Amino acid sequence: MIYSDIALDAVIVAVLVDLFLLRTQMMTRGIFWLTYGLILPFQLLTNWWLTSKNIVMYSADQIIGKRFAGAPIEDLLFGFSLILFTLSLWEFFSARHSD
Amino acid sequence: MSHLNYLAVLAFIALCAVAVSLLFRLRLLSKWKVFLLTDGCIIALYLTWDIWAAKRKAWYFDPHQIVGLKLFGVLPVEELLFFILVPIMVILSYTSLGKITQWIANRR
Repeated sequence: MIYSDIALDAVIVAVLVDLFLLRTQMMTRGIFWLTYGLILPFQLLTNWWLTSKNIVMYSADQIIGKRFAGAPIEDLLFGFSLILFTLSLWEFFSARHSD
Repeated sequence: MSHLNYLAVLAFIALCAVAVSLLFRLRLLSKWKVFLLTDGCIIALYLTWDIWAAKRKAWYFDPHQIVGLKLFGVLPVEELLFFILVPIMVILSYTSLGKITQWIANRR
């Protein structure tokens, strides 16, 4: 269940980076959750696309086995961490390069 | 044509990005430095994870549905494009929603 462990770690790291390392506090802002809510259906759509056609496949021993929209539920954790990381870094660097 | 299947998913994301940029008149290019810094971090983190997992076969790709160009011998080039296009789409979504909420607030 390597994917499960790392996906969970990625969320924890992204949250810690956002709240304490870069202090961008994205998670406390409504616009972040609004953005996440907009992207989530598109993530589910592309997940389903990639997994239902077997473009991407997962080893059974690397995931807990529960699936949502065709993809392992771990993908939801991965997607959340990617969105949070991206926006936290974007805000952090935007504040330092205001040209 | 099946070799383009993964690329087609990415093309869909790219089309959405272009459509949203035009619709909301977003100029992400003017912030290319900020984007390079942001995506540099994202690629460093997620591609490392991706290569490591692909080497262990945690996940694998249908050789008939990718173009076949591989990074570090294991990772389809589509994965690199994914970690460029998805952050672009995330930032464009965030910026356009910011514009919409601002617009609504100004109208009140």
